[in-house]
Amino acid sequence: MADTPEEIKKAQKKYLLIGLILFVFTVVTVAVATVPWLDFGEHGFDARDATIGLIIATIKAGLVGAIFMHLSHEKKTIYVLIVIGILMGISLMGLTGWAFGDPIKYGNSVEGDGFFNPEAKAEQH
Amino acid sequence: MEIPYTVTARKDTGLFNAKVGIWLFLASEVMLFGGLFSAYVFLRIYADYPWPERALPIVPGLINTFVLIGSSVTVVFAWASLKMRQWRRFQIFMAITIGCAAVFMVLKTIEYKAKWGHQAVRMDDFTIIEGHAHYATILSDGKVEHFHTKNEAKKAGEKDAEVANKAAVAAKGKDEESGGSGKANLWKAGKPFKANVLLFKPETIDFSLVRAHESWVNAMLEQTGKRNSKLITAEDTFLYGHIEDYSGIKSDPRSSKERARKEAELVKEYATAEEKRDHKFGENSLFIPAGTPLSYTLLEKARKVFVAGRAHNAETRTAILREKWKSVRRDLPDEKYWDQAPEARIDSATDLAEEVDEEGNCTVGSKVVSLVSTLSFRMDPPQPIIIKRSWIKRPVKGQDGRAELRDDTSLNAGDGEGGSTGLLESPLALSVDAIDFRWMAQKAEEAGNVPMEVIEQSWIFSKANKNGSTYKKIWKVHKKRIAELEQRLIDKYGKDEEGKPKRVATETDRYRVTWQDFVHYARAEHDRLMPGDSGFDDLRPKFWNGFAGPNHKDEEIHKLHAFPELEIPHHKVSLQSMFTPKWNTYYAIYFTLTGLHGLHVVGGALVLGYYLFFSKGLYRSDPEWLANRVEIGGLFWHFVDLVWIFLFPILYLM
Repeated sequence: MADTPEEIKKAQKKYLLIGLILFVFTVVTVAVATVPWLDFGEHGFDARDATIGLIIATIKAGLVGAIFMHLSHEKKTIYVLIVIGILMGISLMGLTGWAFGDPIKYGNSVEGDGFFNPEAKAEQH
Repeated sequence: MEIPYTVTARKDTGLFNAKVGIWLFLASEVMLFGGLFSAYVFLRIYADYPWPERALPIVPGLINTFVLIGSSVTVVFAWASLKMRQWRRFQIFMAITIGCAAVFMVLKTIEYKAKWGHQAVRMDDFTIIEGHAHYATILSDGKVEHFHTKNEAKKAGEKDAEVANKAAVAAKGKDEESGGSGKANLWKAGKPFKANVLLFKPETIDFSLVRAHESWVNAMLEQTGKRNSKLITAEDTFLYGHIEDYSGIKSDPRSSKERARKEAELVKEYATAEEKRDHKFGENSLFIPAGTPLSYTLLEKARKVFVAGRAHNAETRTAILREKWKSVRRDLPDEKYWDQAPEARIDSATDLAEEVDEEGNCTVGSKVVSLVSTLSFRMDPPQPIIIKRSWIKRPVKGQDGRAELRDDTSLNAGDGEGGSTGLLESPLALSVDAIDFRWMAQKAEEAGNVPMEVIEQSWIFSKANKNGSTYKKIWKVHKKRIAELEQRLIDKYGKDEEGKPKRVATETDRYRVTWQDFVHYARAEHDRLMPGDSGFDDLRPKFWNGFAGPNHKDEEIHKLHAFPELEIPHHKVSLQSMFTPKWNTYYAIYFTLTGLHGLHVVGGALVLGYYLFFSKGLYRSDPEWLANRVEIGGLFWHFVDLVWIFLFPILYLM
């Protein structure tokens, strides 16, 4: 860990460089999404654009974690904590996934009850 | 007491304690945001409406990304400065970090404000209209006029009031000359309001005692007062119940003498049947004479009586029923209870009567009180009342002369004999900056129709819409532009083996006319250019134009009249909302995620601010401890940055 003043002095250059890379990646993400000739996949937004955007975001997040948050050289305890956190996070996403099996889909549909659709209401009578 | 391991590391973990603490906290934050991100994913996958792709203005989000990344660098430098024992340098970098947080929040506020002031409408045919609602004001003759801006509406209202009041004063003079007791009824100009409400001119308003919603009652009262009208009870009302408070009569504003007279009259009226009843209920009842002005306190008092009366009735019925069961069991001990049940019924004619003579005729009153659950107020004279669409219980059609609100308040425009429907023309008037047919196209496809045909037959292009021709013109240019785009895509990317173009225009391209399109087409019309002409494409606003959305105050847009007017008839509005969580699930999750993230920014900035402004003492006594604290605050700050790194692309770019 960069703890002595000399090491920290050296590390500062690295922080600046990472900051710069993050800036550049941000510009790349926006460019890929807005400039037509940089558009991968289909015309307009599609799954490939989403994948590219998320990959860049993940790399950026990885850099912030590894360098700024010193995760590239941390103690074992902290790795354990993070891994547990991430696993729990993924399990939570899995819990939301139970909505797949939810049979009640259009129970409260606003179109059905005639509130917003006077014609549907009229038909009922 | 000395706190252990603030500077030195514990042997077992190799860490100082606070670091373990912050990582535990960050792990829980990962779960919190992870859960919300998954909510986003599922809402998007299962959206039954076209998801608003790339719907937010990119520039504020992009600047905010730069700002947060920059602040992540500076917070690391602030920590490094402390490690190298450079207090001044630490102060500078920490101040920059907090400054960045402030910039972030300011941009966020601008963005939120733009959303909160932007009108969205879903019509009954699933056309989505976006724009800025016009302003309206009610004039002294009861008419409603629409204006583009609040200021125009205000000025017109004031001018109208001036003219009306001059006439009123003149009329007063004449009246006095001819010996009348002339009293000038001066008109106050009302506040301009957004033209996205319903206007109803009721003769009477019935309030439910149980459900009347305080703020709605007060809103109606306020409006009535402003329009020189008043809401007073239509008739004498006697409420019975079992409460001690007999304050209703006390609150009668009229003279005590008249009150006593009125009371005496009433007692006389009820005297025959009332003697016993008064003994029982008299002290707990409430008398509201005709002409009592409306107030929420009055409704509350009446509600107390109603609730008490209802409880009394329930108790009475239960007691009677219990007695019935007892006697039935006594009379028919061998029957099963389901066979006994038909016998154990309340006969309302005799059981509830207080005294029954030998022939079974009821002579005096009833054991239960008759309940009054609504109070009716007369509006004198009738004036338009502004009702928000979100208050309405069911569509107000006007034919039946009624408007029902969700708190069971009912506004009635007479008995319909005079032909009064009560509902004033209440179109939703706005300057349109986007039209979205994607949902309509989706519905058309589901029904097996050709989307374009359905769209072109929709109300907005029809003759029923008085601005229809404007929109037809815009749609024509739009279709031509999309055809050009498709041709260009074929020219550039070619066709596959089956002869289908490899790249086609998206649904959003086709079915959504964005605010950039509106400006683009208006500029082209001004320069007499059509899609395909050279120079047409250059007129398109760039993605950095319109910082947080379309700017209706922009001089050029105003001059070109780029955002045309539209008046959507009241009955065609299915849902109206600002761009708030109510509008759709996209905005719900957008505000949840960015709002929670914004709170983290504020919280983080407060902690970092504490290090900057209140930690000089700690720096002098134990600089390493402060450095460790700043590292902890910095870790949290980096996490906030990290969340934004994901939020920016998923909310702004996808």
